This record gives sequence, structure tokens and C-alpha cells, in this order.
Amino acid sequence: MGGSDLFTGTLDILVLRTVQPGPLHGYAIGKALRDRSDGVLSVEEGALYPALHRLQRRGLLEAVWGKTDTGRRAKFYRLSDAGRAHLDEETARWREYSGAVGAILDGAGEA
Amino acid sequence: MRPWPFRRAPGPGGLEGDADAEIRDELDLYLELRTEELIEEGMTPAAARRGAERRFGNRREIERRLRREARRRHTRDGRWTMGWSTRDVMYALRGLARAPGFAAVAILTLGVALGANTAIFSVLDAAVLRALPFADHERLVFVNGYHLQDGQRAIRNASVPEFRDWRERTRSIDPMVAYDPSGVTLSRADEGAERVLAELVSEGYFDVLGGAVASGRFFTEDELSTPGGHPVAVLAHELWQRRFAGDPDVVGQTVEINERTVTVVGVAAEGFRGATLSTELWLPLAMIGIVGSPDILESRGTRFLPVLGRLVPGATVASAEAELDEISLELQALYPDAHEDRFAQVRSFREGYLGTTGDLLWVLFGAGALLLLVASANVANLLLVRAHGRAGELVVRRALGASGGRLTRQLMTESLVLAGLGGVVGFVLAAWGLGALTELVPDGVLPAYADPVISGRVFAFTLVVLALVGIGAGLVPAVRSGRGDLAGALRGARGAVSGGRAQRVFVTTQVALALLLLIGAGLLTRSFRAQLAVDPGMEMDGVHVFRVELPSSRYPDAEALRVFTEQLTRAVSVVPGVSSVAASSDFPFRGRSSGSYVAREDDPETRIRYHRHSVSPGYFTNLGVELLAGRFLEERDDERAAGVAVVTEAFVRRVFPDAGSGVGRTFWIGNPSNPDNLAEIVGVVEDVRYRNLTQDMMAEPNSPDVFFSLRQVPSRTLEVSYRVAAADAPPVARVRDAVRAIDPDLPVFAESTLREGYLQQTATPRLAALLMSLFGAVALTLACVGIYGVLAFTVARRTREIAVRRALGAKAGDVARSVVWQGVTMAALGAAIGAGGAALGVRVLEGLLFSIPPTDPVTFALAAAATLAVAALAAAIPAWRAATRSPAEALAQE
Repeated sequence: MGGSDLFTGTLDILVLRTVQPGPLHGYAIGKALRDRSDGVLSVEEGALYPALHRLQRRGLLEAVWGKTDTGRRAKFYRLSDAGRAHLDEETARWREYSGAVGAILDGAGEA
Repeated sequence: MRPWPFRRAPGPGGLEGDADAEIRDELDLYLELRTEELIEEGMTPAAARRGAERRFGNRREIERRLRREARRRHTRDGRWTMGWSTRDVMYALRGLARAPGFAAVAILTLGVALGANTAIFSVLDAAVLRALPFADHERLVFVNGYHLQDGQRAIRNASVPEFRDWRERTRSIDPMVAYDPSGVTLSRADEGAERVLAELVSEGYFDVLGGAVASGRFFTEDELSTPGGHPVAVLAHELWQRRFAGDPDVVGQTVEINERTVTVVGVAAEGFRGATLSTELWLPLAMIGIVGSPDILESRGTRFLPVLGRLVPGATVASAEAELDEISLELQALYPDAHEDRFAQVRSFREGYLGTTGDLLWVLFGAGALLLLVASANVANLLLVRAHGRAGELVVRRALGASGGRLTRQLMTESLVLAGLGGVVGFVLAAWGLGALTELVPDGVLPAYADPVISGRVFAFTLVVLALVGIGAGLVPAVRSGRGDLAGALRGARGAVSGGRAQRVFVTTQVALALLLLIGAGLLTRSFRAQLAVDPGMEMDGVHVFRVELPSSRYPDAEALRVFTEQLTRAVSVVPGVSSVAASSDFPFRGRSSGSYVAREDDPETRIRYHRHSVSPGYFTNLGVELLAGRFLEERDDERAAGVAVVTEAFVRRVFPDAGSGVGRTFWIGNPSNPDNLAEIVGVVEDVRYRNLTQDMMAEPNSPDVFFSLRQVPSRTLEVSYRVAAADAPPVARVRDAVRAIDPDLPVFAESTLREGYLQQTATPRLAALLMSLFGAVALTLACVGIYGVLAFTVARRTREIAVRRALGAKAGDVARSVVWQGVTMAALGAAIGAGGAALGVRVLEGLLFSIPPTDPVTFALAAAATLAVAALAAAIPAWRAATRSPAEALAQE
């Protein structure tokens, strides 16, 4: 699996952003990512789980076991306070970064 | 924010066993839901399942990564510093509560060892490590003049002229000061007389010792340098409080000291007690006339002054001593008579105050450390056995996902909790032991500044030791369990040996250390017994003694002294309950006697040092000293008769080796030109251990003793001794009254008994032997517990093998022998190591031993034999158990 640092960092932000509205279990998170990115980011779907567990270990996500709508036992992830702060920070940085990259790319196109 | 309606999942510290299952559940759910999604998109269930799995990727690889993540999560929580929670401690406490026998033995073992170490460290700290009560004490030194005789140094104080010569010539010690510690009689108008310790001091004394005044002033240069000119005194704060009730106007008042009127010019700051550490007042050395003859200020041969000083920057004890050696040679050339064989040594204050007590304390401290090692090894062993007993539990927990680090941490916690509880027991024991120790230690063994208490430093020391012991004892068991030799541990239940080697190493170490301590104990005990075996040459019990000092103001001459002595002995002898009485210038085990040179009448050139005593006729019978030849001193040996002397056997051997009994021989005391200085030997008595028990009478500097008649050689200091008829009801008060009836202003002081003096002599070796033996016994007991534990454990695990062997015809005796043999070989290896260590280490005891060489083979052999015998005994119980168990029953149980 070609998880570069860029990819890892990006996946982290996307996961955090996905659970921002409320707790979701792994499948729901994965599905949301697939749906919104139109499959661009989908590599191995299973790679989501190491990311989830790593975020949990770093205290950015909190995890609890609960029931799904259909009554199945599932592990739900939600944003912790630290995760929320991290997400805000990373979102701002990403915007700045992508803005800068975009400006250069746009400029290069004009030249 | 949305409510959080779910049951809280087990946190990081929860049942780790669930971790694997959780990972599987989580991934299963994903695959299920993903499969459903694909079915909804139109796939067949089978294809959908395969599609979900393909899209998911390598499930095993992902599970592995998740498990690693979970472990890291636990390890992070479980790091020593961070996650060391009360929960672990509670867990450890619960574990210990479930094994009360194990816990009690371990805690008690550690408690005893920690208590002993704490008590000893507090004494060591107070006496050896703590700063002396003087400013800049590290640069302060004592200068001890000595006579070099037969290669030995006979320490003797300095005379005033000698001190002046040293002071003028030395460049290493500045200032150099002298002082004369003297008991004086202090009285004030209408108040009773009292003996107090005074120091008569030279210029610079207070500066060197860093003394300060609370009120008034110290002495002026004029007061210090004019002989007899200024009767002035400085009081110690304590005396001012006690005797003058802290009177703020005391400066300027007068007191009577030895019946001379003296003006108080100052009070020293609280806590300053001079070089003796117990001085109550100071006088200028120039006022020596108050305590003796003013002539001695100019007498080169009257050596009564201790000398001290401060090393100048750059000077060391060695360099100062080298300089003093040169000065000594110079003075020997200038004054060949008075300075014959005369030198001076320099000693730091610490060494001066401690003497051999410092060595003893370090030895005991070392012994305590060894004991602690033995105790730690014991606890480590107990923990190992316990870890084995819990192998099943640990394996299951490990299998359920508990990380190795976590198990290690938990076992370490248990060990530290044990050490902590041991520490609590230890502090209680130390507080009690310190009280007992203070009782046991006789006066004068510890310097006066040392007041051992469990201070903050002692507490900190014990905490550090406790932590080290906790970690040290827990390390091997914890790491072994944590490393998770799981398969091995499980097999252990069925006969495989794991951990056995570590146990044996611990036990062997214990035996080695215990033997080391036993050998030390044996040497000190044999040395102590050798001292007890010394015949002091006296009948010790029932002899009481007190001292009086006759002031020259009321007893101006020899005749006055004679009359008083006569009256006093007669008055005491008629007190009911007193069976005999004697007076003398000094008394066995009670401080210095004066010495000088004698020479045979026929050989005035060969001079031999001797100890001089003046005694009344009843002296020898009173002490129970045996007469070997001639007669005792009698009433007729008075001032009008020719000079006579009673000498000891050792004196005859040394001075008149050619003259049979020696009776009738004459010798010079002092200048051979004056016929009055001739004395004739009228009697020879057995050797009396006058100064200490360990002296060799034939060897200088312990010169032989000569007893003159108190009538011919009177003394201002009188030691009055009386033998009582009933030892349980000594008429001490009535004797005191009898003295008061003759002279109401004469203080009776230093009341004691001959037995007390003797006990004082043997107190230090007694203490050393007692404490060492105690340590040795405890260490040996612990080593035995260790041997027993290992063998019992081995036997339990070999039950099946032994049963099979028995079933195949092995005799019970063979089985028992093999078990005992196992114990004895372990002990023998330990004993060999211990004896080797002892042979290298006993040199530290050399200075504390009397007449026993440090490598005394008897001690070594006895200690080793005792160790092996006790080891065999410890092995006997498991051996018996192994041998008597019926094979059928044992096999059935397995």
C-alpha cells in the first residue's frame, strides 16, 4: 500500500472531517469517503482501519461500542476535543497549502 | 453536540484480552456491510462477498497492524512514569492480601533489613557524615605530640614551652592554639560548690573554633598573656542558663573558681562548648595558677596541653605533619633531654573525635548493606516462586492480550509495594532500634556532637535504598514473566525447570553473604572474648570510687594534703557498710596517670618510661591485687622514711630481668644526682590492667606501673575507693556526707564503680560483636529460608519423577539424600565464595580486633561448618517430605 506521508496526513484529515458532525462506525466512514471523493482516494478500503486506530491512539478520536440502526454491534468513532482542534488547524493549513499550490499552478498556466 | 448514548467501551487499561476479538468484530462488520452494499448493487451474494474482501485488501496484514497499534496504545499507557497508577498499586495490594503468608515473610524480611540499615545510617550520618559543630571544620586539625618508643607512638600532650616552639616555627598551621581541659570547683556567694569542666585557653582559641559571644566579650590579648594577672572567665551559654538563670547582668559579676574570685567578662553563644564539646567555662591559660602550679607555664617537661589549629590554605594534614617532623628534630637538637624521641602528628578534627569509632561505624554500615542484599535476594526468590505459582494466570493474561511490558510493570509494582511496606516496618524498627542502640552505646564511644536521629537525610537515604531494593528484588522475576516464556511456564506445571537457575544463583549469593557476615561476627566475638579472658588483676565487684580535688588555697602544702587524706580515709572507713577504703592519685580505667622515666641505680643512662601512681596502704587489698613478693605499702612508709615503691611483675621483667623477685633493688626516679630520688622496691604485685585491657605490659608505650606511698608522694587529686559489704545497698550517700563533714566546700564528683569502668572498657567490642552476630544470624536464617524455599519448590515440581523413581525401587533414603545433597552443594558453593570474599575483605576489621588475626582459621572453619550444617538442616524438611510421600498417591495427584 502506497501510503505516503502526504496520503496519510490527508486521510487523517478526511477521517476527522467525516466524523465531525457525529459518531460513525468504520463502514460508514469508509462509505462517506468513497462517496464524496468519487472513488479518487480509494486504494485498499481496509487501510482505513489502521488510520482509525492510530487516530484513536493519538487521542484525536474516541471510540465506543454501540449498536447500528439494524441492531448490529459496531465500534463508533467520534471526534475528541483534541481531534477537533487538530482538524481546525490542519484544515486551515491545508487551505493555505492548496491555495498556494493552486496559485502557482494557475500562474504557470498563464505564462 | 449530540448526546453520547452508548455504553462506554473498556478503556486502554481494560481487559486487554478483548482487543483481538474487537479487531475481528470490527473488520467483520465492515465486510458484512460492504457485502450487503455490493448485493444491493446487483451482485450475487458469493461474488459480493469476494468483492468486498478483494476491495478490503490483505486482511491478515491489516489485523496485524491493528494489533500492533493496540499494543502500542497499552505500552504508552503502561510506561513507567506515566501510567503508574493507583490501580496497579491496588492490584498489587489485592494480590498480596490473597497471599498473606508470602506477603508477611517478604515484608518482615525487608523490614528487618531496612530497619537495621536506617538505624545504622542515622548513627553514621550523625557521627561521620554530618558537619562538625565548628565553622570551617574541614581545615581544623589536632596536633598530638608523641614519644616514639619501640616504633610505637605514645601520644602525650604538649608542654607550654613546647607549644610555643611549635607555634613560632610552623607555617602550615595558623593559628595554632592550646587549651587545658580541667575540672574546677565553681561556687557563688551562699550557693553550694559544683564541679564544672573548664578550658584554660591560649590566644586565638575562640577564633580558630569559630566561637562567638552572646554577651560581653572574649579575653583580651593582655588577659591572655599576663601570667596570673587577670582572673577573668567566659561562661558557656548552658552554664549561664543553668547556674545563673540567664541573668542578663552576669557580665561584670564575680564567681569563685577553685576559691579564687574571678570576674565574668562574657557569655559564649548558645551551642559553643569548646574543643571538648562539653566545656562550661573558659579561663585564660595565663591563669593556670587557678588549677595548678603557675610554674608549669615554664616547665618544658610538664605536658598537659592538647593543641589544635587551622591549616593555612594549601597545607594538608600530611604537609603539616612533615613540617612538624622537621621542627621536632630541631627541638630534639636544642633540648636533648626534654625532647628525646619526641615528635608530633597532625590529625583532622573528624579523625580526632572519632578514633576507631569511625571504622566501626563503616564496618557496621557495610554489614548492614550485606544484610540488605541477603534480604533482597530472599524476596527476589519469593517473587520468583510466586511468579511460578501464578504462571497459569500470567500465561492466560498474556494470551488475552496483556503486553509483556504490562505484566513486568505489574510485578515490579508488587515488588515496590512490598519494599514500601517493608520500609514502613523498617522505620518502626529503626526508631525502636535507634533507642536500643543509644542505650547500648556507652558514653564516649560516639563523639559528643553526634546525636543520632531519623532526620530528613536519613529518611531520604532509606527511601532511595527502599526503591533500589524494590527494583532490584523485582527485576529478575518481573522481566522473566514479562518476557513471557509462556510455553516454558506452562510446561513448568508439568515438570520442566524454568527459573530454577536464577533461584539457585540467589540462594548461593545469600549463603556467600551470610557466611561473610558470620565470619565478621565470629572474629569480633572471638576478639571480644579474648578481651574478657584478660585477667584485669583485680576483684571487680563491690568497689565504689569518687574523686575530690584539693584546692591549693586551703591545702597549700604536702602536709595539708597528707592530713586531709588521713582524715578522709578514716572517716569513710567508719561509715556502716564500708569494709575497706583506700585513696590514690588515680584509679583503674579512670583517665590518665602521669608518667616519667626511671633508671636502675647501677645504670642511670638507660631510661625507661613508667606510669606513676601514689596510693594509700589499703589500696592493693581494697582492689584485691595479689602480692607476689615482699610486702605492700604500709603506714610506716611516710615522709620521714626512705623512698619505697611497690612495682608490678612487668616492671621487674623489664627493668630488672636479672634480679629474681626484684625486691630490695633500687632505681632512680628523676635526676640521678639527688639521693632523695632513689626508691627501693619493697613489694611486687601481679600485673594490673590499669589503663585498658588490651595493652601489652611489656611493650612501650604501655609502660609498666610503679606505686609510691601517698604519704611520700602526695596528690591534690584523690580517687577515694571503698569496698562495700553488701553490693545491693552501697552507702554512697553516707560516704558523701562523711566527706562533707570534713570539708563542706569540697565537691565529690565522678562517682562510679570499678565494674562500670571495666564495662566501659569492653563496651565497644561488646557492641561490635553483638551487632555483627545479630546481622550474621539474621542473614543465615534468611539464607536457610532461601535454601528451604528452592528445595521445597524443586521437590514439588519433581513429584512425578520422584514417584516414578520410588516406584522403580529407589529407597526413601536415596531420595532424601539426593535432595539434601542438592541443598548442601548449593550451600557449599556459596560458602566457598563467601570464604574467599571474607579472606579478601576482613582486613577492614583489623583495627577492631584484639589478639585475633583477621584471617583466623578457627573462625573461618567454624563459620563455614555452621553454615553448611544449617543448610543441611534447611534441606532436611523438603527431603523428608519427598522421601515419605507414597508414590501411588503422588502419581494419582499428578
